[in-house]
Amino acid sequence: MKEQKMIDHLFRHQYGKMVSILTRIFGLNHLEMVEDAVQDTFIIAMQKWRNQMPDNPEAWLTHAAKNRLLDLLRKSNAENNRAVKFDNGPSAIAISQLFMDEEIEDSQLRMIFTACHPALDPRDQIAFALKTIAGFSVNEIASSLLLKKETIKKRLSRARKAIKENNISFKIPEKNELLKRLERVHEVLYLIFNEGFHSNHKKILIRKDLCEEALRLTQLVLKKEELRNGAGYALFGLMCFHFSRIDSKMSDNFESIDLKNQDRSKWFFPLIELGNSAMNKSLEYEDESSYHIEAAIAAEHLKAKSFETTDWNKILELYELLFEMYGDNLTALNIAMIFIQLNENKNARKILDDIKPQELEQRAYLYYGVEAEYFININEKEKAIQCLEEALYKVTNNSEKNYLLEKKKRVG
Amino acid sequence: MKDFMLLFISQSYSELGLSPEEMQARMGKWFAWNSKMTEQGIVKEGDALQDNVRRVSGANRTITDRTGAEVKELVGGYYVVSAKDLEEATKIAEGYPDYDLGGTVEIREVMVFDQ
Repeated sequence: MKEQKMIDHLFRHQYGKMVSILTRIFGLNHLEMVEDAVQDTFIIAMQKWRNQMPDNPEAWLTHAAKNRLLDLLRKSNAENNRAVKFDNGPSAIAISQLFMDEEIEDSQLRMIFTACHPALDPRDQIAFALKTIAGFSVNEIASSLLLKKETIKKRLSRARKAIKENNISFKIPEKNELLKRLERVHEVLYLIFNEGFHSNHKKILIRKDLCEEALRLTQLVLKKEELRNGAGYALFGLMCFHFSRIDSKMSDNFESIDLKNQDRSKWFFPLIELGNSAMNKSLEYEDESSYHIEAAIAAEHLKAKSFETTDWNKILELYELLFEMYGDNLTALNIAMIFIQLNENKNARKILDDIKPQELEQRAYLYYGVEAEYFININEKEKAIQCLEEALYKVTNNSEKNYLLEKKKRVG
Repeated sequence: MKDFMLLFISQSYSELGLSPEEMQARMGKWFAWNSKMTEQGIVKEGDALQDNVRRVSGANRTITDRTGAEVKELVGGYYVVSAKDLEEATKIAEGYPDYDLGGTVEIREVMVFDQ
């Protein structure tokens, strides 16, 4: 037997590539047909490769997609009794060009920018990006976002409809529009990453997949010179820093482990280095972003040998910068938590008083969790327990629930 | 040793809505199963079959065409394997990767005629 190990996620990534190339040729109006065609190619490959895998599976798939495309062209020509009109009008020679590496990347970028078009609802953008660029199935998107299959189907069809109705063209926007859209691209990638990193999904593999996709796509965006900026590099750095500790974030029983109790030896240092070099790159650009600050906060945590030796003053400074930018409750809550770490309980109380927990909506439990920490710190156990009970009443996901229950047991 | 035909009956792959990731995993399982059997000299031949079904039936040779989507139980492929007896062929069939997709293996001994 020929020893062969296929690259992880080859099909998934190849799916995104092929859908992007074919969409570039056929136009976004034919996206559904394109996705079906690519799916067919995989079904054939799956059966054909049972007996023998090709020497270069990626090349095989690309070749098959190309043939499949030609089939579709022929069929479409025969049905309409005329040559298909392309949206972008490439000739046969140009089609071959589109299968070169650089053009494949360009096609994928066009798809990313399409997904992030302002005509699409923000929630639909994520589902659409995961489907067309990352090669996730409806089931996989549903399960990784902890949503119903029907919800995802709705979001996808709404996204497709928005693309059609707004006659969105399959390209990277020009100068004026570019910066704004790039910002949204970063946001969407950031959200995909967070879905993986901060979710309480029981399956660590699914969470990692989401993070890895976000990292891969951010890297892809940074490959193109016109798309590089400080925010992009900082975002990539931030993702590297966070992802380096994903294995230490979850126990064998799928309980989330807070920073204080993470095994720091499990952190993955090559990624931290990659993050560091991305941060250095980000300094070559003039723009600044919240990603810079968030990355700096993450880096500060990674620098500390232990939870106790964390430079909380430095982190406080950074969170205050972030609060100046956004003035959001979640950042305020983080600041309160740091004051608690620093034993500056009066300051912590002041901030807690300024936050209206109901504004945090489904994350309101976090408020009561922090308030509980505050009461523990000032030795008011009963009040701490009351807060934990309130948090338990509000929390919906099990992993967090168990965490709070544990805490309550320790206090009581 | 006797020859047995293993017939793989399931829904068409196109109808199952597998994701690219799942297809890659499934392909890997089939590849491993096939490699193992080839190494041990068990498989004599085998192929996967296209989804489209044409049936010719009756005195009038009536033709009916069906797509994979219309047929719930489709013969999707076969292997001819050599085994000592039905029990051993059954053991072999247990390695079929698609049981989790609702697949079935039908085992049929190939008839041998004495001269």
